[in-house]
Amino acid sequence: MVFKLAWKNIHGAGLRSIINVFIIALVMIGIIWMQGMYAGWMRMAERQSREWQNGDGRYTFRSYDKYDPFSWDKSNGKIPSELQSLVKNNEAVPILISQGSIYPDGRMISITVKGIPYNQKVLKLPTSELKDSKYNIPALIGMNMAKSSHLKLGDVLTMRWRDIHGAFNAADIEIVKIMDTPEMEVDNGQVWIDLARLQTMKDAEGKATLIVLKNSKDISFTSADWRFQSIDDLLIDLHNIMKVERAQALIMYAILLFLAMIAIFDTQVLAVFKRRKEIGTFAALGMTKREIIRMFTVEGMMYAMLASVASGILGLPLFIYYGTKGWKMPSSYESYGIAGLSDTIIFYYSPQMILSTIIIVILITTVVSWIPTLRIARLKPTDALRGRLS
Amino acid sequence: MPKIQIETKKMTKYYPTGEGLFAALKDVTLNFTEGEFAGIVGPSGSGKTTLLNVIGSLDTQSEGEVIVLGKEVSKLNAKESAALRSEHIGFIFQTYNLLPVYTVYENVEFPLLLLKMPDAERQKAVMDALDWVGLTDKAKSRPTQLSGGQSQRVAIARAMVKKPQIVLADEPTANLDTENSMNVLETMEKLNKELGTTYIFSTHDAKVIAFIRRKITLVDGRVDSDVIIG
Ligand SMILES: Nc1ncnc2c1ncn2[C@@H]1O[C@H](COP(=O)(O)OP(=O)(O)OP(=O)(O)O)[C@@H](O)[C@H]1O
Ligand SMILES: [Mg+2]
Repeated sequence: MVFKLAWKNIHGAGLRSIINVFIIALVMIGIIWMQGMYAGWMRMAERQSREWQNGDGRYTFRSYDKYDPFSWDKSNGKIPSELQSLVKNNEAVPILISQGSIYPDGRMISITVKGIPYNQKVLKLPTSELKDSKYNIPALIGMNMAKSSHLKLGDVLTMRWRDIHGAFNAADIEIVKIMDTPEMEVDNGQVWIDLARLQTMKDAEGKATLIVLKNSKDISFTSADWRFQSIDDLLIDLHNIMKVERAQALIMYAILLFLAMIAIFDTQVLAVFKRRKEIGTFAALGMTKREIIRMFTVEGMMYAMLASVASGILGLPLFIYYGTKGWKMPSSYESYGIAGLSDTIIFYYSPQMILSTIIIVILITTVVSWIPTLRIARLKPTDALRGRLS
Repeated sequence: MPKIQIETKKMTKYYPTGEGLFAALKDVTLNFTEGEFAGIVGPSGSGKTTLLNVIGSLDTQSEGEVIVLGKEVSKLNAKESAALRSEHIGFIFQTYNLLPVYTVYENVEFPLLLLKMPDAERQKAVMDALDWVGLTDKAKSRPTQLSGGQSQRVAIARAMVKKPQIVLADEPTANLDTENSMNVLETMEKLNKELGTTYIFSTHDAKVIAFIRRKITLVDGRVDSDVIIG
C-alpha cells in the first residue's frame, strides 16, 4: 500500500518527478559509464602486460631489481634444466638483462639491453627480425624510444656494455625494427637483441635474468635461485595506479550524486511543506507518524528505483557502444606514458559493479529522502490539518 | 439505556501563546451516547475544533479526563491512538481533505487498507459506501474533477466505509451551498439512522442546526448550554 501511494504521488507530481528521475538516471549512467571505463582500462592494461611483458608470471633470478641496474650483472643464472623443455616448446621465454649505452649522433644515452630468443612465441614482441645475422647486431626498439632518441629504421650506432666480469665492450647495432607497443616498459629506454648473441657478448652462456611463462598453472618448479612471481605480483604497480585513479573518480561520483541529491532533498522538503494538510489527514485516518514518514521516504526511494530502470533504458546504447566499439584515447595521451593509453579501451561492466552502483544510489537517495521527513515527527496533526507547520 | 461512548470531565485545554497559556476549553463536562446526532455551535474561536480534536485523539487535554470508547485518550501512545482512530473514528473536514492523487474509489478504500481488510470484503465495502452517498458512477474520478458537494460526499463515504462508532465532522457544510449542504446533511442523517453511528458536528450553519437533535453551545471555551431538540 505504501508503495502504491508513493507511486501515485510520484505519478501525480508529473514534471518534477520526471526531472528527478532523469537527474538520478543521468548520474547513474555517468557513474556506471566511468566505472566501466576504469574496469575496461584495467582489463586492457592487464592483457597488454601479459601479452607484451609478463606472460602468466615469471621466474626471477634471486635478487634482480629492475630499479637497481648495478645489481643486474650479478642477477642472472643458468636456465634450470626443469624449465629447459618449456623454453624449447615455446611455453616459456628466457630474458637476459644488461645495462648499456648507445651513442646516436655522438650523444650518450643509457639503455637497458634485453636479450630474448628471436624465435620466441610467448610475448608479442616482433623478435623474428632479430634473427638476421648481419655484420651489425640487429636490434629492436619501440616507437617511443625511437622518438626520444631520434632513431629511425636502418640506423647503425655504437653500443657499449660490460660483460659479467666487468670488462667493457663495444659493437655496432642496427635498428631493424621499430615496434608499436602499448607497454611502456618494453619501449622506453629498451633495446632488444637476440638472447644467444647477448649471452655471448656478456660471457653469460646459457644464462638468463627472467623466465617468463606462458601458463603458470601446472608448473611447480621451485628453487632457491629462481623465485616465482605471479602475474598479480607483477601487476601490483598497475593495481596501485588504478587504485589512485579510482579514488579520484570517487570524488567525481560523489559530486554527481550530491547534485542529484540536492534535487531529491529539495523535492522532499517541499513535499513535507506543501502536503502538511495531507499529513494531518493521514494522521486523522489512523496512520502513525512513523508510517507517514515511511511513506514519504519510500516516495524518495522510488525515484531512485525508477531511475535505475530509466538509466538501463537510456544508458544502454551508450553502454553497448563503449562496451563493443570502445574508446580511443586521443594520441596526445600517449606521451604521458600511462599504461596502455594508446590502445582502444573496451568498457567493461561487471554485474557486481552495476548492482553495487544501483544499491548505493538507492540507499543514499533513501537516506536523503528520509531526513526532510523527520520534520513530520515534530508536526502536530492538529496543526497539520490547519495547514500550519509547528 | 443507550451506552455512553464519550465522556469529558472537567476538561481544560491550554494552548501556549506569546503571552502565556490560553485556555481554549475550560471545565468542559459532556457525555455522548451511542447513535447521537449532536451539534456543537458557538462563535468563531469558541473552541469547537479543539473539542473535536481532543475527542478524536488528535490532540490531548491539559486537565480533566476524556474517555472515548472506554479509553482515556491522553494515556494512549501514538500507536494506540492511531489504532483508535483507524478502527473506530471517522473524520469529516470543512475542506474535504481528499487525497489528490487517488481516485474517488481509492480515497474511500484507504481506511480499509490501513485496517488490512481482505480484498473481496474491501471492494464490497467501498462500493456500498459509494452507494450510500450516491457516487458509484464517480468511482474512477479524481478529487479535482468533483464539485464541493460531491467531494464532501466522498469524504463522508471515506469516514463511513469502515462503519466506525463515531464520526466527527468539523464544519462539514461551511464550504457548500444550500442545496449541497442539505444533500450532505440528509446523507449523514440517513447513515446515522441506518447504521447507528454517533455523529458530532461543529457548525455555525443554521441549516445544520435544523437537522441536529442536540445542540451544545460553547462560548469562550465553556459549555454555555446543552439542549435536546425535538
Ligand atoms: N495551535 C494553537 N495555538 C494557540 N492557540 C490556538 C491553537 N489552536 C487554536 N487556538 C485558539 O483556541 C481558540 C479555539 O480555537 P478553535 O479552532 O477550537 O475554535 P473554533 O470554535 O473551531 O473556531 P472556528 O469557528 O473559527 O473554526 C481560538 O481562540 C484559537 O485562536
Ligand atoms: Mg473550527
